[in-house]
Amino acid sequence: MTKVRPFGLTYVVGDATVAKLQPASGVHASMEAQAFGWLTFGLAPVARPARGTSVLVTKRSEGDVDGRSAADAAMDRYAAGDDAAFALVYDALAPRLYGYLVRQTREVPRAEDLLQQTMLQIHRARSSFIAGAEVTPWAFAIARRLLVDSVRRGRREALGVEGEPDPGASPEPLADEWVAARDLAKRVDSVLAKLPQSQRQAFELIKNEGLSVAEAAQVLGTTVAAVKLRAHRAYEALRGALGDVIGGFEGGNP
Amino acid sequence: MSTQGPSADLRARVLAAASAEPMPTRSAGLVRRAAVVAVGMVLSLLVLAYIGGPQPDGRPIAYFLTIAALWTGVVLVASWAGVGRGKSMLGRPASMRWIVAALTPAALVVATLLAGLCWPATISEPSTIHDHLLCIELGSLMAIGPLVAFAFVRRDSDPVAPRLTGAAVGAVAGAWGGLFIELRCGHCSVEHVVLGHVVPVVVFALAGALIAGSVISVRHHK
Repeated sequence: MTKVRPFGLTYVVGDATVAKLQPASGVHASMEAQAFGWLTFGLAPVARPARGTSVLVTKRSEGDVDGRSAADAAMDRYAAGDDAAFALVYDALAPRLYGYLVRQTREVPRAEDLLQQTMLQIHRARSSFIAGAEVTPWAFAIARRLLVDSVRRGRREALGVEGEPDPGASPEPLADEWVAARDLAKRVDSVLAKLPQSQRQAFELIKNEGLSVAEAAQVLGTTVAAVKLRAHRAYEALRGALGDVIGGFEGGNP
Repeated sequence: MSTQGPSADLRARVLAAASAEPMPTRSAGLVRRAAVVAVGMVLSLLVLAYIGGPQPDGRPIAYFLTIAALWTGVVLVASWAGVGRGKSMLGRPASMRWIVAALTPAALVVATLLAGLCWPATISEPSTIHDHLLCIELGSLMAIGPLVAFAFVRRDSDPVAPRLTGAAVGAVAGAWGGLFIELRCGHCSVEHVVLGHVVPVVVFALAGALIAGSVISVRHHK
């Protein structure tokens, strides 16, 4: 089984038990379907996460305690004086932040540096953490700010889709389906790269990182309506650019 | 582009770095922030005491008490909305911070006009450029303590719109300086209050956006 990641989702290719190209990560397929008509793409969501998937996006409900995420509860404990809880905060946040930062920087060492800085910022805010506050949008906002700052410092290299090594690529021989899916991933990346930053970020925070629209609005410092509009425009751009693929899937003939 | 999770080595590095830089708990931080704000306020109050302390200075007592109550109310509400973060680590909505930065000076002017309506003789009380400049200087001096204290309270705290937060914090600090000088200054014409007591609020809002914003912003630490 080979996995590629157009739309920031993991698509499973070559699995006889599912369709030829299906989203298989834990991203909120139902939310997407409601908000953006995602399923009109003809890509049915898979209920189970793909085994061995390299995508570490988790559902909001996983680890929730009394309606609060594991990260929220752990940060509360850390702020209250439980030193060991910072490891739990890290474990709850780091995979999602890392995925976001790798996708944004296309550079693992820089993503690791920014993740470290983000987690240390969270650590430094221990004394000012507000009891009951949500950690996830705050953490993404910190990561985004540090990322923007690093770009401003001129450390960002031009985003390049072509010829970029994919660390999650399978060493197996390329099958036609894998090549097609990989081409699709490149096309999606290419379309996203051409979008205005505001649209791309709104789209990625919701689709890739699994944030709610309200959380994405907090991270981006704008209104819910603006985020919905930006994400919708990004979606429409993708839909327009990938119409042939969508049509092929909807016709059952990819 | 697919992503593996962060390495175990990175996790160990982050946890080690956090351990090497112990941070106070929430309760200890609260005490520390309260102490810093108290020090900032005491410094301003010392300046106020040095220049004579709160006094009507020729103004009707009832007018003085009314204007003091109105300005104090405006400043406290602005402090709550502009410096506090509410229940979110990302602070209060941007619209609220805009309101604090833009409308705090206007609210102070309105408070003065309301008091002036009750005591019409105060509205046209004469004052000079020298009076205006003296109040600008003293009011600004008494706003510095609150500004530094509030910037300390909010340092490294805003990853989204630090300049807007800086403007709100600056306006609040300027309003505290304006309140202190209002308690001392005997000139109560609208012209003098606007030029001598409220203009510094606007100036501090701009200074907050430019200077405090960089302190309030989340920054890369080496």
